[in-house]
Amino acid sequence: MANNRMMIKFFIASESIFFLMLILAYVNFHNSVTTGPTAKSSLDPYVTGIFSLFLLASSFTVWLAGKSLKNRNRSGLKLWLFATIVLGAVFIFGQAREWFGLFGRGITISSNVFGSTFFTLTGFHGFHVCVGLVMLSVLLGLTLAGDFKGPKSDAVECVSLYWHFVDGVWIVVFSVIYLWAFL
Amino acid sequence: MEALAGLTYYTIAISVVILGIIVIAVAYIIIRFRKKSGEEGEPYQDFGSLKLEITWTLIPVAIVAVLFLLTCSTMRAVDPPSADREPDIIIIGHQWWWEIVYPESGVITANEVHLPAGRQLLARLESIDVIHDFWVPELGRKIDLVPGHPNYMWIVAGEPGVYLGACAEFCGAQHANMRIRVIAQTEEEFSEWLTRQARIPETPSTGIAAEGAKIFQEIACMNCHTIAGTPAAARVGPSLTYLATRDTIGAGVLTNTPDNIAKWLKNPAKYKPGSLMPNMKLTDEQVNAIVAYLEALDE
Amino acid sequence: MSSRIPIVPESTEPLPGLGENTGLLSWVASIDHKQIGIMYLIGTLIYFVIGGLEALMIRTQLAKPGSELLSPEMYNQLFTMHGTTMIFFVVMPFLIGVGVYLVPLMIGARDMAFPRLNALSFWLFAFGGVLLYYSFFTQSGAPDVGWFAYAPLSEKPFSLNNGPTYWALGLLVSGIGSLISGLNNVVTILTMRTPGMTMRRLPLFVWMMLVTSFLLVFVIPIITSAFVMLLLDRLLGATFFTPAFGGSAILWQHFFWGFGHPEVYILVLPAFGIVSEVIPVFSRKPIYGYEFVAGSTVAIGLLSLGVWAHHMFAVGLGNVANAYFSLASMLIAIPTGIKVLNWVSTMWGGRINFAVPMLFATAFIIEFVVGGLSGVAIASVPIDWVVTDSYFIVAHFHYTIFGGSLFAIFAGVYYWFPKFTGRMMSETLGKWHFWLTVVGFNMTFFIQHFLGVMGMPRRTYTYHDMPYWGSMNLISTIGAFIIALSVLVFIWNIIVSLRKGEPAGDNPWKAWTLEWATTSPPPVYNFKLVPPVRGRRPLWDLAHPDSPDEPDAKIVTEGPNG
Ligand code: HEA
Ligand code: HEA
Ligand code: HEC
Ligand code: CUA
Ligand SMILES: [Cu+2]
Repeated sequence: MANNRMMIKFFIASESIFFLMLILAYVNFHNSVTTGPTAKSSLDPYVTGIFSLFLLASSFTVWLAGKSLKNRNRSGLKLWLFATIVLGAVFIFGQAREWFGLFGRGITISSNVFGSTFFTLTGFHGFHVCVGLVMLSVLLGLTLAGDFKGPKSDAVECVSLYWHFVDGVWIVVFSVIYLWAFL
Repeated sequence: MEALAGLTYYTIAISVVILGIIVIAVAYIIIRFRKKSGEEGEPYQDFGSLKLEITWTLIPVAIVAVLFLLTCSTMRAVDPPSADREPDIIIIGHQWWWEIVYPESGVITANEVHLPAGRQLLARLESIDVIHDFWVPELGRKIDLVPGHPNYMWIVAGEPGVYLGACAEFCGAQHANMRIRVIAQTEEEFSEWLTRQARIPETPSTGIAAEGAKIFQEIACMNCHTIAGTPAAARVGPSLTYLATRDTIGAGVLTNTPDNIAKWLKNPAKYKPGSLMPNMKLTDEQVNAIVAYLEALDE
Repeated sequence: MSSRIPIVPESTEPLPGLGENTGLLSWVASIDHKQIGIMYLIGTLIYFVIGGLEALMIRTQLAKPGSELLSPEMYNQLFTMHGTTMIFFVVMPFLIGVGVYLVPLMIGARDMAFPRLNALSFWLFAFGGVLLYYSFFTQSGAPDVGWFAYAPLSEKPFSLNNGPTYWALGLLVSGIGSLISGLNNVVTILTMRTPGMTMRRLPLFVWMMLVTSFLLVFVIPIITSAFVMLLLDRLLGATFFTPAFGGSAILWQHFFWGFGHPEVYILVLPAFGIVSEVIPVFSRKPIYGYEFVAGSTVAIGLLSLGVWAHHMFAVGLGNVANAYFSLASMLIAIPTGIKVLNWVSTMWGGRINFAVPMLFATAFIIEFVVGGLSGVAIASVPIDWVVTDSYFIVAHFHYTIFGGSLFAIFAGVYYWFPKFTGRMMSETLGKWHFWLTVVGFNMTFFIQHFLGVMGMPRRTYTYHDMPYWGSMNLISTIGAFIIALSVLVFIWNIIVSLRKGEPAGDNPWKAWTLEWATTSPPPVYNFKLVPPVRGRRPLWDLAHPDSPDEPDAKIVTEGPNG
């Protein structure tokens, strides 16, 4: 049905505004931190950059999963969904590692506006990645149970659109938080 | 002010004309086009007219253009640039009173702005807690006191006299009782007032007033209030140095008489529920002594 | 001419939907758009009475200077809850609810595109309201920081109680409900239209719901993010909006009004839609300038996204920003004016039946223009500097929301009640309701313009005995009680008419849109047979085969999406 795909597109548009506001809040405070941690003083662009590559790669694998579906290649679908989940999970692991590293140095959401904006923005992005992982796992489970014979499936298409969106948000977030501070 | 009056009249006139046209048209329609008994069938089916649509798009465009230009010119007249100079007055909003500072002379007072009539002064407006808004209707525009974002405004009062105003931005429990008085004086009166306020009063050394001075230092009053020339220098509450010269207490809830000060001291919350001045649980003697002390500072 | 247009065969079986299946579970578990719509309407009526009682307490307190009926804390809770309730739990859900009921019928669909999401929206709205009102029963009391909860007053250091937390949570939840509803509407309108129902033939109400729904989709996330930040500030010690810790008080205002201004058009566009349906039917003429009425809605929707800082002229944003926002706000007068003049022209030359729906629609035009003109006045920066945060503003927005949205809502209730229930509302009681409302409303709010200019700030639980203030406030209070009386008549009318109103038949007003082509109330499946759509007024075309709206139109049987 066209409905589902249209729905997910408008939903993504709406979510984009949500992230835009969080990003604007970050940008608004970018230069106003006078004491306490800043992006420059507390983040490591290289490590996070490497973990980001995993998320980028997962966009590619979810695209391959869609292709497999189109070609009625069930084992390909399983493989690429699984790969996407693994790559996404690695990214989340990287995020968790970064957060706990910051907590260990006493940097939290209540430290200052950098802490507030940074944790809120990356936290909501991470939350969306987790939601995506859950949906991908459901898809994988259903595939293993014999669903999705192809060549079309709204569920797979919608989840993969959503996943691309989450990935796209990260590119912006990474640029705004990391590249802006370190370039 | 004149520019503002012009803008206001034009706006009202335009509004009245537009509203008048609509009302008259509707009234005519009600009389002329209501279904009369005996009328049958459907009236002529009219789907619209491009010419009319264009007309009633262009006329409002013209009206809006005029209003906008007037708005811009009036805005510039009412709020000229402050030319990067130091302010003459600093007005600081507190939950629920005003602190007034004259930076040049160092005078600090509360809830009353004294001005030389006819002279334009530059005010800086700040807030130490939440957002307040300075509004004295007869002096024209209002402006917000935003924490972390000082604002500037010219104030001028044409004639000597007392101009009443109030805080206009909702700021909590006692927003309603955050009133302000602007007292415009002649140049001589104003400079006399300023010199007097800048003088450091003598602490009374005898009698009940001396008693009061002692009590004031001993029980926590000085944690919140200032009295020039004593260790009391806190700015949580209004400066009490020349309290006796002010017209009201509690930002307008009571007129300033020794009796009312005594009542206030016994139970501020009775007159201003929610006020941040606590009930200090004073005895009658203590109250009388403090009142005598506060009054004596003005001698 | 008979009052029914015989396209739907006389139904002999008892009507399903309403009436027959009345068990509580059938409502709670319902995913039928009509039942959900009715639940919205009942819910908003309850909230309207609550919000109105709060207003009556406000007005009673203000009836005389120095009144000590209510403590300042109580008063502050009351106006906060009054504003929040009326906007988020009365007008907005009412319009969403009417839309949910009517949009599928008007476009000839069986239901919404996502019936389950539709039910979810409703229950999120209901749950959000309960969460908000639950705060009254907690120790800390209801939120007391005003309906726009300016930071830092709404932050922990200045509001130690939990009121603002409940406020943000309740609105967050119900806001997500509205967002889902908006998404659902957009998809429904774009994909579920019956064959022949092109976008250029969409009933105007549906057009306005479409634009409103787009606004919901794009502006609810703005406020959702702001609520999230406020909650993080209050619960986890983040510092977004606390200047003392490096945050910004002004950022909250940008976020709130970035949503809040489009929100006021969310409150008024569907109301415009209602009026655009009622006026043609009772004037017996097609809407004048259909394209312009629909197009100006889109223009209003777009413009409304760029004017938010006209609520912040006194904040000190600088004169360049002020001038921009002033101009943008004034520009909205142009598309709105186009609408007003087209409504008037629709009436011109008609054969007007001033039944109660039409009375409300006519009064709506005038009351709304008063509110709109005061809106343009305060869009002029120097005038706003004088009257902002005074009772002049209170007068402005009651004229637009009450005189605009609510008058239209009343028109809509009287117009569609026969469709919803199968019975007519009493005309006599309706006329009483109408006149009491007009008198009470103008008495309450017109005088507030003057109070504002004379210097009375809003949101004050008490005021000094200044010349005339006491008597002017007393007049306003008496007006409020007249409104209360009118509301009682209205509720009485609903109760009486539900029980013994005259049977309505399918199409008592001889209207032209598709919802009138089915039984009243419509069956669960909406239509046995959707009439062919070859123009904007399918039922006109059926009744006047010799003079259809679009003589050359072919009958289409394929839907827009195949
Ligand atoms: C249904 C709700 C609704 C509607 C439709 C409007 C419509 C408008 N509003 Fe209003 N407004 C509110 C609800 C609404 N408002 C609320 C709730 C607040 C206060 C919030 C708060 O502080 O609590 C507010 C506050 C508010 C302010 C801020 C005031 C302040 O706080 O200081 C301003 C300032 O510009 C403003 C302007 C306008 C304008 C220009 C319009 C325009 O859209 C009006 C356009 C309509 C017309 C002009 C009439 C018809 C036109 C013609 C007949 C054509 C010819 C006319 C001309 C050429 C002038 N509104
Ligand atoms: C949809 C919006 C809407 C509606 C319909 C109303 C309706 C009314 N409003 Fe509202 N009002 C707002 C939105 C609305 N208001 C907003 C947004 C604010 C700003 C809040 C803020 O500052 O934060 C506000 C603020 C506001 C104030 C300013 C408070 C202040 O600044 O201190 C006042 C004062 O007069 C007021 C009065 C009224 C009155 C008398 C009605 C009346 O029209 C109400 C009519 C309804 C009734 C009277 C109900 C009648 C019911 C019965 C009679 C049933 C009786 C039942 C039993 C006895 C069982 N309102
Ligand atoms: C916790 C702080 C605090 C303490 C302690 C305190 N006050 Fe106050 N006082 C205030 C505040 C705040 C106000 C302003 C109240 C208002 O107008 O809302 C005030 C107002 C006053 C006023 C009225 C001044 C005016 O211009 O309106 C007097 C007089 C006064 N205090 C005297 C005293 C005395 C005497 C004591 C000690 C016995 C005392 N205060 C202790 C905070 C304090
Ligand atoms: Cu200070 Cu209101
Ligand atoms: Cu607005």
